[in-house]
Amino acid sequence: MFLIKKIFLFFKRELNLFYNNIADLFSNILFFFLSIFIFVFALGAEEQLLRSIGLGIIWSLLLLSSTLSLRKFYEDDFNNGVIKIIHMSGISYELFVFLKILSHFFFVQIPFLISIPIACIFFNLPINEVYNLMITFIIGSLILSCLGSISASMNLLNKTNFSIGSIIVLLFSIPVIIFSVGINNSEDSFRSLINLLIGITLIFLGVSPWSSAAFIKLALRNK
Amino acid sequence: MFNFLINPNQFNKFVDIIFKPLVIIALITLSAGLMLVYLSPLDYQQGLTVKIMYIHVPSAWLALITYAIMTIYSIVGLAFKISFSFIINKAIAPIGAVFTILCLLSGSMWGKPMWGTWWVWDARLTSVAILLIIYLLIIFLNQTFENREVREKTIAIFILIGSVNLPIIKFSVDWWNTLHQPASVSKLSSPSIDISMLQPLLTMTLAFSMIGLIIAILRIKAEILLRKKYL
Repeated sequence: MFLIKKIFLFFKRELNLFYNNIADLFSNILFFFLSIFIFVFALGAEEQLLRSIGLGIIWSLLLLSSTLSLRKFYEDDFNNGVIKIIHMSGISYELFVFLKILSHFFFVQIPFLISIPIACIFFNLPINEVYNLMITFIIGSLILSCLGSISASMNLLNKTNFSIGSIIVLLFSIPVIIFSVGINNSEDSFRSLINLLIGITLIFLGVSPWSSAAFIKLALRNK
Repeated sequence: MFNFLINPNQFNKFVDIIFKPLVIIALITLSAGLMLVYLSPLDYQQGLTVKIMYIHVPSAWLALITYAIMTIYSIVGLAFKISFSFIINKAIAPIGAVFTILCLLSGSMWGKPMWGTWWVWDARLTSVAILLIIYLLIIFLNQTFENREVREKTIAIFILIGSVNLPIIKFSVDWWNTLHQPASVSKLSSPSIDISMLQPLLTMTLAFSMIGLIIAILRIKAEILLRKKYL
């Protein structure tokens, strides 16, 4: 009972933070749209070409723009001591990481979901590809949140090399890209690829709280 | 008996005994291997270019073996809190990177005359390229953090996460339909390579691993000396 109340309060706090930092999210989405425009300017506005490569471009730009604000994942909570206070209130580091992943998924990745159909209009994608993109993004963005949690907690004490966190997210998101873009190429293997994606999601949901909590403990000990 | 694998002082003692014989064995195996490669028969389809295999295959094996050693030492170092394993992780990462670069370079030199292209987006080739990126990230991570404990444990956990790539590399030729040929030596039943080509290949593998071992020993000794000065 107490635990549920604590989790509720945690999400209430995250919601407040989300309302305060909403401009950051909007600039992320703006980055996403602006990079789509730049891609179109660089490739030339041939409709057939854009339709054939649109899905891959949208996925990779979603990935790149979701790595933009990764440094904020834990840094504020770590620097003002909220992580320690939450731990003292009886939530373990692993559960904290799990809740943080869920809140990142709800407050950062889901708003991107609304912007995906608008982006698909620019590339004239057929409607079944848009459905596939939405389904794979709901599953794949959870993996991206897990990866972001791992790399952000890894770089808590890193004060020199800022780009390495984004590189790690990009490195481990290669299977996500392969399976989620591959859904459109073969129609009959839709179910199997979705199952593979869900399997990868479950693996990362299991692994990332453990490893992120290990990194956070290490960083708190050496702060 | 195997204490030298986890204790720096024992390691130094053991290495001082075996270092000179190791150099001599490495020289002998390298010259014998090169001689065998020179005498080995030409392939009836590939001609002279088959001799790239004697560089390509040993360096690919050693790139994988180096990563596997780093994975084992990361598990040991994290589980039993043995700091010598972190010394080894730091010391042998560049060696693995160099072997991976050798493998990729010789592979693309072999691919140009045989497949007609320097690079294809094949499962085996791509996964080895990702292995190279992981090695480079480990080398960069070694120069990132100020705090030593944070740096070492971060790298160890990163190595553990990145070891997912090893079975993908090994089985990529079986799982996907690739241009790269499937394994022909490591089959348990009978290798599908002729004995006249297997002999120089194994000799070159031995020579490569000896050279890698010598460089690894030198790097580990230098790292131990560096840490003793600061401790």
